[in-house]
Amino acid sequence: MSAAHDDHGHGHGHAEAHEGPIVVAVSDRHPRVRTIQVSRPGQQDVNYLAATTKGLGITLKHFAKNLVAPLRKLSSRSRAGAPPLEESNQSAIETVQYPEEKVVYPERFRGLHRLMLRDDGAVRCVACMCCPTVCPAHCITIVPEESDAKGIEKRPAIFEIDELRCVVCGLCVEACPCDAIRMDTGMHAKPVEDRANAIETKDSMMGRGIVSIAKQGGEGPAWREHLPAPKDVNR
Amino acid sequence: MSTVYAILDFPALKWAFVVLALVMPLASLLTWAERRQSAMMQDRLGPNRANIGPIKIKGILHFVADALKMIFKEDFIPANVHRGLFALAPILALAPVLIAFSIIPFGPTIYPHQFNDPAGLHVVELATNPASPMFADSIRMQIFSIDFGLIFYFAVLTLANYGGTIAGWASYNKWALLGGLRSSSQMMSYEVAMGLGLMGVFLVTGTLEPGAIVAHGASANWSPANPLNWLWLWQPVGFLLFFTAAIAETKRAPFDIPEGEPEIIGYFVEYSGIRWGMFFLAEFIEIVFISSVIATVFFGGYQVPFLDPDGFRFGGYVDPTTHVSMGGYFLGLRHWLVVLLQFGAFGLKVILLSSFQLLVRWTLPRFRADQLMNLGWKLLLPLSLANIMVTALIKLIFMGN
Repeated sequence: MSAAHDDHGHGHGHAEAHEGPIVVAVSDRHPRVRTIQVSRPGQQDVNYLAATTKGLGITLKHFAKNLVAPLRKLSSRSRAGAPPLEESNQSAIETVQYPEEKVVYPERFRGLHRLMLRDDGAVRCVACMCCPTVCPAHCITIVPEESDAKGIEKRPAIFEIDELRCVVCGLCVEACPCDAIRMDTGMHAKPVEDRANAIETKDSMMGRGIVSIAKQGGEGPAWREHLPAPKDVNR
Repeated sequence: MSTVYAILDFPALKWAFVVLALVMPLASLLTWAERRQSAMMQDRLGPNRANIGPIKIKGILHFVADALKMIFKEDFIPANVHRGLFALAPILALAPVLIAFSIIPFGPTIYPHQFNDPAGLHVVELATNPASPMFADSIRMQIFSIDFGLIFYFAVLTLANYGGTIAGWASYNKWALLGGLRSSSQMMSYEVAMGLGLMGVFLVTGTLEPGAIVAHGASANWSPANPLNWLWLWQPVGFLLFFTAAIAETKRAPFDIPEGEPEIIGYFVEYSGIRWGMFFLAEFIEIVFISSVIATVFFGGYQVPFLDPDGFRFGGYVDPTTHVSMGGYFLGLRHWLVVLLQFGAFGLKVILLSSFQLLVRWTLPRFRADQLMNLGWKLLLPLSLANIMVTALIKLIFMGN
């Protein structure tokens, strides 16, 4: 069942009941078995010259618009108090000039890992081995050692993540019982010339201990109530 | 002083000027303009990064980077190629197009002694007594003014076809050979329609000399600077036929069967470095050339609308004995200003027509080989024959000769 059909089935009232193909006859066995009138492509789509002209018109329109828009923008800027450009006069260019401009990632974007720190700057991880266990890519290596801190049994002596094997699924973050590992840095894995350099060490991940694009500070069990209103994702 | 003018009027010098100062830069810039225009047609930005230090004019220097890259790239010659022909093919593709430019009148005839005459060019004097010393040392901005100009262009441009075919054969590669054969079959099919498309022009103007077509227009009763006297209005079918066939001659989409990037790569599949660059450049020079021919034949060449040799004139009439435009609302201009405007007009027409060819290339999907042949032989050829018949009939009925 297609999405379009769904819409018609559950209906937005009678206004849209007449949309869709023209029904010539309906089967008496089942209402959905119908004879409909199919519209064939018109003369314009059959005639090559006319279709060509139409196509050239469309591309020319885009070209002209994108060519003229910067000038319009320039001239409207020079006038004080000028209203912003109408949508139809704005450039339609979608290109993001990458090094200078960057697309803003969503808040829950999963990037490079970081290891959270305690107040005294020690790593928060207690080497419980939950994350290497749950990791589907087996990219986490933890070697535990005894911890000196009071009330804490273990800490990682080695905590390594092979970013080349990591599938960025985020299960390690979900599995962690003490919120020690997060993926909210908004950073990409760096390009490397040697595979060994792609392995993130404990120090490098602790170095990003305070880097985050996400909201910090536990909201507690009532976190859903503090969420901002959902944004319109489709602009 | 007259020696200087004589040297300036020397064909080889004019050819060097046209090729090095006008055609090559324009063709090189087209390689950038094509990517830029296609990008903007598709709501992208296109190449805008190339720069020399702070000089970055919207990335216009990309053509320099391209040229440097192609020159310094390894020139790889595969085993078993026919070395002589392999080396000859790119030259054969490039040279004829450059030679064909010699028939294009890219500017008006310059009369140096009239250059700064406040009364403008003495047109009546020129028509009645052209041997007068006032008009000595004239510089004709057309390299060869030959009666069979357009035939010469067909003859020379056909040679460019050998470039593709020989490249395909000499490469010792089945895909290259297929591309070469496709190239020659396509050229043969479309040159017929192209030539016959221009026959209507011959019937209307009675000449095949591009300079004369520009200088006289379609009808002797109107000024040649009147846009309604240019041949696009008198030969609309011929214009469409010629334009279509000419795009096919440049071997670019939608007629890129010989190259066929999605399937056989084409006759230059084995070429690399500057040898490939020569094929590439030949393609763009052909675009400029086709635009020049269309501008010359169908859009009045260097004529600026309503700009007669002595100044702007709206209305008025053409004197039947001297064929000089008279009367009307007249704004006199000095000769050098007229020359400058007419040069600019020709350049603008060529640039606009080239841009239109890019628009076509980036809009239309490519033909299949059989569709290409169908269009050429079953549609364009009969249409061009019908165009000749109808033009001849109209001329016979209304002009009686």
